[in-house]
Amino acid sequence: MYLIGEFREKAAAAAAIRSLRAGGAAPADLDVFSEEPVEFPRGVLDRPSRMSLVSVSGAILFGTLATAFVWWTQHDYKVVTGGMPIFSFWATGVITYEMTMLGAIVATFGWFLWESGLLRKRDRSAPVPQVDPGSLCLRVRCRGDEAAQAIDAMRGAGAVDVQRRGEA
Amino acid sequence: MATAPERLPYYQIREDLFRPLSRVSLRYMLATSIAFIVGAAGLVAWSVQLRRGMGVTGLHRPVFWGFYIVDFVFWIGISHAGTLISAILRLTDAAWRKPVTRAAEAITVFALMIGGMFPIIHLGRAWRFYWLLPYPNSRLIWPNFRSPLLWDLTAIATYVTGSVIYLYLPLIPDMAQLAQHNTPWRRRLYRALSLGWTGSDREWHALERAMKLMACIILAVAVSVHTVVAWDFAMSIAPMWHSTIFGPYFVTGAIFSGIAALVLALAIIRKVLHLEVYLTKHHFNRLAKLLLLMSLLWCYFTLAENLTVWYGNEPKEMAVFGARTRAHYAPYFWTMMFLNFVVPFVLLGIRRLRTVAGATVASVSVLIGMWLERFVIVVPTLTNPRLPSASSFYTPTWIEVAITAATFAAMAMLYMIFVKLFPIVAVWEFKPHPQEDD
Repeated sequence: MYLIGEFREKAAAAAAIRSLRAGGAAPADLDVFSEEPVEFPRGVLDRPSRMSLVSVSGAILFGTLATAFVWWTQHDYKVVTGGMPIFSFWATGVITYEMTMLGAIVATFGWFLWESGLLRKRDRSAPVPQVDPGSLCLRVRCRGDEAAQAIDAMRGAGAVDVQRRGEA
Repeated sequence: MATAPERLPYYQIREDLFRPLSRVSLRYMLATSIAFIVGAAGLVAWSVQLRRGMGVTGLHRPVFWGFYIVDFVFWIGISHAGTLISAILRLTDAAWRKPVTRAAEAITVFALMIGGMFPIIHLGRAWRFYWLLPYPNSRLIWPNFRSPLLWDLTAIATYVTGSVIYLYLPLIPDMAQLAQHNTPWRRRLYRALSLGWTGSDREWHALERAMKLMACIILAVAVSVHTVVAWDFAMSIAPMWHSTIFGPYFVTGAIFSGIAALVLALAIIRKVLHLEVYLTKHHFNRLAKLLLLMSLLWCYFTLAENLTVWYGNEPKEMAVFGARTRAHYAPYFWTMMFLNFVVPFVLLGIRRLRTVAGATVASVSVLIGMWLERFVIVVPTLTNPRLPSASSFYTPTWIEVAITAATFAAMAMLYMIFVKLFPIVAVWEFKPHPQEDD
């Protein structure tokens, strides 16, 4: 089942998250909803990301493929170059560079869709709270027997309202 | 430090910034109609060119590049308004960027779309455009990847892709908001485009990371794009084109004209949409200072480029230099210097004159001046080739003038449509963070 706690203050939401995590809740079970980006102190609800790595990997992949493709096309149909190399890295370096950048762009965007969950919805049955401007909602996924403890943790941290929603 | 609009109540911010989407005034319809008519006239001109061939233009041997390439370089330069400025301000975390960035990013996308059309128009046989693409064809040949024109294609394709994504990403939260309060067709549009955004911390984290990465990538791409456009010229051995400073010179000019386009767009948006609270005189003051800085930098590059040629006294280069500064094209050159240096220096250098109106007038001056700069770079070199007997003059025909005018109309029309479909200022960036009001 899901619990949704509404908070007016960021510090209260952070305290609730700390309390829930101390009680055994995993970061994957917790989601904070807001109408603007909210930064918590390090260690409260970190979301490790591989976006930079994926971006660099995409860049390397596209750059390598583009260079290999240009090399292949220039050997596939050999132009008379008057003794100059058939394939010149410097003369086609711009193509490699731009394709490298395109790889980084495509990989970043693709990974954004994936990591944000927009592309792969984790749980379509999970309730999405309606968030008032200036407030935060904390959604907790828990078992029925853990609900009372979680509600206490949220109320204790300063939640103005806690609601039960759905089944786990 | 929080800027003034962030102190407004949230409902008012949303009301102010979403309001322009729902109201279509008579003046808006009139302006869009005029832009549409001018754009349609350009399409008619292009259709004449397609039917009768390139002979209807003023292009002839040895002037194969005229208005179309001037327009191409100009619009690609304008495209540097958005992404580059927005990326720099985002990476440096400049708080004043908030109402400016989306307007700038939209300019980039539309200017690139328009600029990217010119090589196709200039092809003559536009329907053969796909020959530029590397596909396995019946003739068993591939495009020449060593050609700077193919570099252009690759660079612009990358820049368009990056700019569209860079514009789209911060639009997602606003579109999710708009999906809740709107007419049915708009709800469907925004719901589809917002991809089911819920505002969870995973989404926000991913968005912020993606925006930072995209800002870094797009900076590198933007610089490369105009450098590649400059190399279209510099890689040839034509007089006054074969120059090592053309890359940075073009990038500087692009940012210069881009900022001018941004100031002009913001001034119009501010006036028409009544966004005086969000686009304050401080924004214009800062952009005006940037414009002044770029004017000085552009002037330095122009001086460096021309002084080196003059001092070298190489006959072929001096023929072009003379055509630019003393002969047929001198009025264009000196008007360019006046509009790009004297006008901004006076209007933006003197604090009392550095107002919203002053910055707007300076921007219009710079835009005209930068178009002339492209003309002065492209045409005199072609009319004075290394073979003196081939010297010629270039006079554009109504076809080229109509197509050029149509691009400005198209830019205006695309921008007006964008303003009616999407909030021109990112609403979510203005929202007060919980417990951060004090």
